[in-house]
Amino acid sequence: MTALRDRIGVMAAIGAMALKRELAERSWFWMQLVVRLVTMLVLAHFWRAVYADTERLGGLAFQQTLDYALLAQVLAPLSEHKLITTFSRLLSTGDMAIELLRPVDLQASEYAGNLAGLVLYEAFQLPLLVVAWGFLGLRLPGDPLTWAAFLVTLLLGHAILFLADWILACLAFYTTEAWGIGVMRHVLSTFFGGALLPLAMLPGWLRGVADALPFAQGIAAPTLVLAGVTPLAQLPSVWGLQLAWLAGLWLLSRLAFARAVRQVTVHGG
Amino acid sequence: MTRYLDLYRLFLAQRLKVLLEYRASFVIGAASVTAIQVAGLAAVWSVLRQIPTLNGWTLDEVLLVYGLAVLSESITHMFADNLWTLGWAYVRTGQFDRLLVRPVDPLFHLLADRFCHDGLGDFAVGLIVVIRSLTALDLHLGPSGLGFLVLSVLSGGAIFVALNLLTATTAFWFIESLPLTRSVYALHDFAKYPLTIFHRSVRALLTWAVPYGFCSYYPASHLLGREAGALAWLGPVVAAVLMAAALAFWRFGLRRYQETGS
Amino acid sequence: MPIIEVEQLSKAYRVTRKAPGLRGALAALVRARREVVTAVDGVSFSVEPGEMVGYIGVNGAGKSTTIKLLTGILVPSGGRVRVLGRDPHRQRQANARDIGVVFGQRSQLWWDLPVLESLRLIGRIYQVEPARLRRQLDRFIEVLELGPLLAVPVRALSLGQKMRAELAATLLHEPKVVYLDEPTIGLDLLVKDRIREFIKQVNREQGTTVVLTTHDLGDIEELCRRVVVIDAGRLLFDGPLETLRERLGTHRRMIFDTAAPVGELPLPPGVEVEVAEPRRLALRFDRALATASQVATAVMSRSEVLDFRLEEPDLGAVIKRIYAGALRGAEGSGP
Repeated sequence: MTALRDRIGVMAAIGAMALKRELAERSWFWMQLVVRLVTMLVLAHFWRAVYADTERLGGLAFQQTLDYALLAQVLAPLSEHKLITTFSRLLSTGDMAIELLRPVDLQASEYAGNLAGLVLYEAFQLPLLVVAWGFLGLRLPGDPLTWAAFLVTLLLGHAILFLADWILACLAFYTTEAWGIGVMRHVLSTFFGGALLPLAMLPGWLRGVADALPFAQGIAAPTLVLAGVTPLAQLPSVWGLQLAWLAGLWLLSRLAFARAVRQVTVHGG
Repeated sequence: MTRYLDLYRLFLAQRLKVLLEYRASFVIGAASVTAIQVAGLAAVWSVLRQIPTLNGWTLDEVLLVYGLAVLSESITHMFADNLWTLGWAYVRTGQFDRLLVRPVDPLFHLLADRFCHDGLGDFAVGLIVVIRSLTALDLHLGPSGLGFLVLSVLSGGAIFVALNLLTATTAFWFIESLPLTRSVYALHDFAKYPLTIFHRSVRALLTWAVPYGFCSYYPASHLLGREAGALAWLGPVVAAVLMAAALAFWRFGLRRYQETGS
Repeated sequence: MPIIEVEQLSKAYRVTRKAPGLRGALAALVRARREVVTAVDGVSFSVEPGEMVGYIGVNGAGKSTTIKLLTGILVPSGGRVRVLGRDPHRQRQANARDIGVVFGQRSQLWWDLPVLESLRLIGRIYQVEPARLRRQLDRFIEVLELGPLLAVPVRALSLGQKMRAELAATLLHEPKVVYLDEPTIGLDLLVKDRIREFIKQVNREQGTTVVLTTHDLGDIEELCRRVVVIDAGRLLFDGPLETLRERLGTHRRMIFDTAAPVGELPLPPGVEVEVAEPRRLALRFDRALATASQVATAVMSRSEVLDFRLEEPDLGAVIKRIYAGALRGAEGSGP
């Protein structure tokens, strides 16, 4: 009898130990999930109450909006602003010069790293997806075509956000307070990217601002596809617009970077 | 008591001097916090202006709740920001021992060491929203109404500080207290909206367990003449009880720190 | 009336011993054991006002823990400690008013504030009246050459400058007891000298009691008339530095300046030649085997000695022996 009790005690202790270890090393990760989960809970209830007496808002039905809002939360890491921090750090430590001497295009390598980071991060967001789907009423598309379209839109959108970030990050060459610009950009991209609410619900003039900025291409566009709001027939025009943004931003990013680098070599930053 | 007030004034003055030296960061910090609040408000406003009511609450009424929540939060943001850093900046580094060797209460020292000016952005936004809502709703608060409002905001602030203190004290055991503090703090998001739109369990959570509801929803209900019963007046009581509990837990944690040497 | 009284002071922690890695952690759990680690084990000593005591021991011997017990940061598990008649833990704030602490690496100055502002703030925390504060500042400006540093934020100071400012901050309120934990660590020789001089001056002029933990030989030599040796939580020695030297210093040196080069020189056992220059001879001898006069006789009988001097046991060697455990066999205090 005591042997059994001991055995159970040991098992419990091991379980607690493993849990404590997991928590200690991943406590930041769990914290992130909890925070986002709370946000999703608030959103689910909020939209339900909003649509209580209304059929459509901004042309969207309740389920569409709900799907959109929850998915936008899962895709949230898209609007992180790592590049500005990276550039600032490289410049202050003097490592930028070393990076520039490498026989690899900095933008390409940063992009690859960024993309890999995104994939990893999204993988960690999966529990949220499961909870939203199981408890908050999220509906995911059944057909693989929509998922494929989503992935394409996501990749294009992520690249657009990356380039936009790259251009802003070049400001780090000119000032040490570029981080402030990063924070501002994060706020703007969250709002005008459609992470807080479907852009269709914004009043006309704000909608115009959102259209003029690239952020919606990265966050709203893929989310709308996955939420089933964008019909498959519309995809060519969606992708056309994204490709246009991509081309334009890419050119701009090469120009901005070349100009910024010259700044360093001339002034010895 | 007056000694502590004097000391706080001095700490504050020194901190402001430092902040003004880094003028750019000072402005950016406050501006970005303000921008985040404004973005949130713009989102709520964009949606609610298109529907008649949210669960019976008009746009201005919802904004009153929202504004009160932000206002209460700004108090902890301004005056108790250092609680977030207790684990990684003070206990882990041993810097906490420095506080214990000074002839001042260590909790006071911890809080006084950092007045966070970012909170001023929250305060400004919250105040503007509350005032605007009150005028838009044509609510003329007499002296008693005003007194109630101020008391509610202060108790709301105390609730925020108390909850942060409770979670931060776990640093004495786990050192990494920030994730817990952040998680509990995240729950105040619910308090930005009328609690009636949420499930009963959420309402119960935000009333009895993590009483952020008393920072915004219950005072707003009372001001708007909605039935809230005794709960409308419980705010200061809840704040006092929670604060007492938080301080007791702090003393307990401090004693444990001194017994085990972290 | 001793200013510090420590009686059978003990501090024990409960620690879970486990092997590194997750598997080790789980494995150790099956055979879980909570060990009791005794950081300080029945230490007793007392310090009179105005003394300068050095606290020596290897890392992990229990020095920092003792300091934390003395300053009221930690609670003893056993025994008692009284500083100025108070229990430093129970009467934390009152005790704090009368002490100053320098924690080698952790500064009490505010990172972004100019030194003067830090000092002013500290002055207010310790309730130092403006006139007294002014007087102290003037003193420090003169003795620590703090003048050019006053307007500089602490983050911009060099290590030596930081330590000077740190000392000013610590002594601003004229504490009766000062605990210095590795105060000269990382500093260059000139600065170390200056710091030591300052500490001696403060001790001399204010009668401030100084308790110092250090690994630095120069610190020990210059500042510690009395030395307490602690090892594995136990007190192994408590007495004058000289006694420690005599007990553990095995070798002495004699240096002779001779008129002419010394030729063949038969030496008594235990004596060896360290340096042999044409007109200078340095001999090292084991005290147990030869006396100074034997060595002197041996040299003087063979050559004309113009001058000579005798050097005491090398402190570095003494300390090394202590760290290696030379005292462990014979515990006890007193000369």
